[in-house]
Amino acid sequence: MIVVKNLEKHYKIAKRDPGLRGAIKSLFHRKFETKKAVKKINMHINAGEMVGYIGANGAGKSTTIKMLTGILTPTSGEVKVNGIIPYENRQQNASHIGAVFGQRTQLFWDIPVRESYELLKHIYEIPQAQYEETLKEFVDVLHLEPLLGIPVRQLSLGQKMRCELAAAFLHRPKVVYLDEPTIGLDVAVKVRIRAFIKQMNARYGTTVLLTTHDMQDIEEICQRIIIIDDGSVIYDGSIQDIKSQFGDKRVIHFELEDAADSFVLPEEIRALTEVLPTSDEDPHLVSLSFSNKHISGAEVIHTMMNHYSVADLTIADAKIETIVEEIYGRGMKKEVQHEEIR
Amino acid sequence: MLSRYIKLYYLFCKQNLKVMLEYRMDFLLGVLSVMLQQFAGIFFVKIVFDHIHALNGWTFYEILFIYGIAATGRSIHHIFFDNLWTLGWQYIRPGKFDRLLIRPINPLFHFIADRLQQDGFGQLFIGIIVIGTAMPHLSISWGVLEFFILVVMIIASGFIFVAINLFFATLSFWMVDSLPIVWTIFNLSDFARYPLTIYHKGIRHFLTWIVPYGFTAFYPAAYFIEGSGFERLALLTPVVAIVSCIFAYWFWNRGLKAFTSTGS
Amino acid sequence: MRKYVEFARVQMQVHAAYSAWFWANTFSILLRMLVIYFFWKAVYSSRTEIEGLPFEGMITYIIIAMFLQMFVSGVGQELAHTIKDGNVAIELMRPYNLITRLVAMDLGDKVIHFVRGALPLSILAFIFMDITLPTSWQSGLLFFISAFMGIWIGTFFDLLIAILAFWTINLWGLQVMKEAVISFFSGALVPLILFPEWFQTISLFLPFQAMVYVPVAIYTGILSGTEAWLALGSQVFWAVSLFVLLRVLWSIAIKKVTIFGG
Ligand SMILES: Nc1ncnc2c1ncn2[C@@H]1O[C@H](COP(=O)(O)OP(=O)(O)OP(=O)(O)O)[C@@H](O)[C@H]1O
Ligand SMILES: [Mg+2]
Repeated sequence: MIVVKNLEKHYKIAKRDPGLRGAIKSLFHRKFETKKAVKKINMHINAGEMVGYIGANGAGKSTTIKMLTGILTPTSGEVKVNGIIPYENRQQNASHIGAVFGQRTQLFWDIPVRESYELLKHIYEIPQAQYEETLKEFVDVLHLEPLLGIPVRQLSLGQKMRCELAAAFLHRPKVVYLDEPTIGLDVAVKVRIRAFIKQMNARYGTTVLLTTHDMQDIEEICQRIIIIDDGSVIYDGSIQDIKSQFGDKRVIHFELEDAADSFVLPEEIRALTEVLPTSDEDPHLVSLSFSNKHISGAEVIHTMMNHYSVADLTIADAKIETIVEEIYGRGMKKEVQHEEIR
Repeated sequence: MLSRYIKLYYLFCKQNLKVMLEYRMDFLLGVLSVMLQQFAGIFFVKIVFDHIHALNGWTFYEILFIYGIAATGRSIHHIFFDNLWTLGWQYIRPGKFDRLLIRPINPLFHFIADRLQQDGFGQLFIGIIVIGTAMPHLSISWGVLEFFILVVMIIASGFIFVAINLFFATLSFWMVDSLPIVWTIFNLSDFARYPLTIYHKGIRHFLTWIVPYGFTAFYPAAYFIEGSGFERLALLTPVVAIVSCIFAYWFWNRGLKAFTSTGS
Repeated sequence: MRKYVEFARVQMQVHAAYSAWFWANTFSILLRMLVIYFFWKAVYSSRTEIEGLPFEGMITYIIIAMFLQMFVSGVGQELAHTIKDGNVAIELMRPYNLITRLVAMDLGDKVIHFVRGALPLSILAFIFMDITLPTSWQSGLLFFISAFMGIWIGTFFDLLIAILAFWTINLWGLQVMKEAVISFFSGALVPLILFPEWFQTISLFLPFQAMVYVPVAIYTGILSGTEAWLALGSQVFWAVSLFVLLRVLWSIAIKKVTIFGG
């Protein structure tokens, strides 16, 4: 269904010195910096698959999805969706796909939801009978009934997202791209949305490519995940596989009494554990990653307690979340190194 | 294919009208304000002609006629193509343009159909009244053919406005928001309200062959004014309209291509 | 006081940052000057004077009026948008007077506008377009005082209209309407003495002629002596009345926000 070969996207970013002088200088002579957002990606997704596409912020997920939908032309490489090259036959491709971009609405801002659907019916040339049937089904599953008469601009985020999702599936597309469809939603709405996506896949065999930062979404919806980091695919396989492959990985978060900047890994465990980068928000947090094949969690905790006064600790087990955290962490470290080199 | 687009346009319009009627007060305000704006311009001409008989050989009603064609042509642009103003700051900058690219219809069509500008009706209304007032005072006998030509000329004038704005709005694909440029160029149309013969030759050529605002009012009007000396050139109006629309649309497609390869 | 100076200063910087708009503006003004020049040249092609004004007098009036008109509007747009997107409630909680802040910003805007735009352009006009100087240094001085009053009146009128945004949505329409009325009655397009008698009488009772016509007529000597002083008196009247009216309307509007939530 979706075939991607050696896909690359480089963004050109114009560099400009600040101020008026910079502006004038850039008129005559522009300096560009190339950002390789996606590097030589390959993937093959079959019809009816539900694939989670994950990676840290800025990894290149949205860029990939934009190329798959035809919004963006690749720098090099090949994309075929359902036998069509999206960025060359954009309109043709568009009638077979649906998309939700979590941050932006696809609906018509000023008019009531029902009328938006009505317009979409005509835009996608959906037969009346099919339209009615589909809409009725969606209204039931997503509880849209009370929302249909309200203009989109007056809906809350969760309400909007439900309507949005229905719009993406309305024409029974073969492929649906969901870019962070659960961003900013409460748990109840998330559950409903997940159920809806699964139901669509079961009933119509819709292929789904989903990006999200919520691992719960992935565990519940997808059989397969593709992990992208800094523009390259670093894992492509089933969730089961990754769990068994990285199943021995453990991460322990330590909350220290002292600030973490002065932290150094104790001598005894230095060879077997690794410090994961953490956010700046909590200056006392230290996260250690290790494999429980080589060292036990108890030993790590014991050693830490000996050297530092630990206020609190949490042990993350081999859930997908831990694994992803570990993988992202490495990616982030790379980024930090890059910056130092520059 | 075409009938599908007509149907779609009708549906878009219907939705837009519904929104408009929701804010009835604003509809009236918009129409009224544009009428007032047009009226101020006409009043100005009237005041000046209270003190002179002819402007460079052009009578009051001839000037009025030019003015009316400019207003009516512009109103076509104002009512149906007003969204062109918003390409940069409402579509490209906030990323709303992506939405148009994943729909199975022509993105330009979708973009244009997204909005109907009620305020333009005021301009249309005034324009028609002004043309109607001036018509009997022109030394030409109005038959069916003349009427037909007049309508064609006005539509052509409208599409020249559209083509020029489309061309410069398209620059937004490279520079995010080209509104200052669009606006400046649009101000050039002020020249077109008066007979081009009052200007320096350079200006006249510029407005005829480079940015063809001359064809939005003066040349079409001159066709109906005896002895104006521009009857031949006036017949080019529809041709100029078609050529500039094709050129602008070609440019738009180039812009779209650039946009989909830079993605910003 | 200090903070309002700061607002004015920041606004000047903001202005400088939008250089695209600056050039667009400058270029549009130049275009307009060209249209005006050729139009009036054509008007005068078959006569030497209209209502006692020769070509030089007329073009001087029109160009100066055009420049002055650019300064008689203000930050109404800003205020209207603040009202419209609901931010006015937040603004009202801030430790400053919103109107004073807007006027301060406007002042910053106008100063930079004058220095970067109007001044160089008017020098250009002096050199190329047969513009004359005021008839005497007294009328020149009087012009500055009168122009200041005109700008003051225009600024407050602009804010007054903007407050109507509490009751309507179509801000663009409001703006266009206001501009049409002003260019109609203020004498920004032609000197009011060219208008029919009845029209002149009506505009005598409206604040608009005090914005543009009075100062420019003083400059060009259309108004002089007692007439000029009388006109200046009417400007003072309008400046004070509009200021008071604005304060009253604003407090009514604020009540509407705080009681009815906008
Ligand atoms: N239009 C653009 N111009 C230049 N650079 C861009 C553009 N869009 C994205 N980038 C850069 O490309 C990289 C990948 O961005 P992308 O939006 O694909 O990330 P993402 O994986 O979707 O991240 P997130 O999880 O934050 O949404 C980032 O470094 C980003 O800064
Ligand atoms: Mg993203």
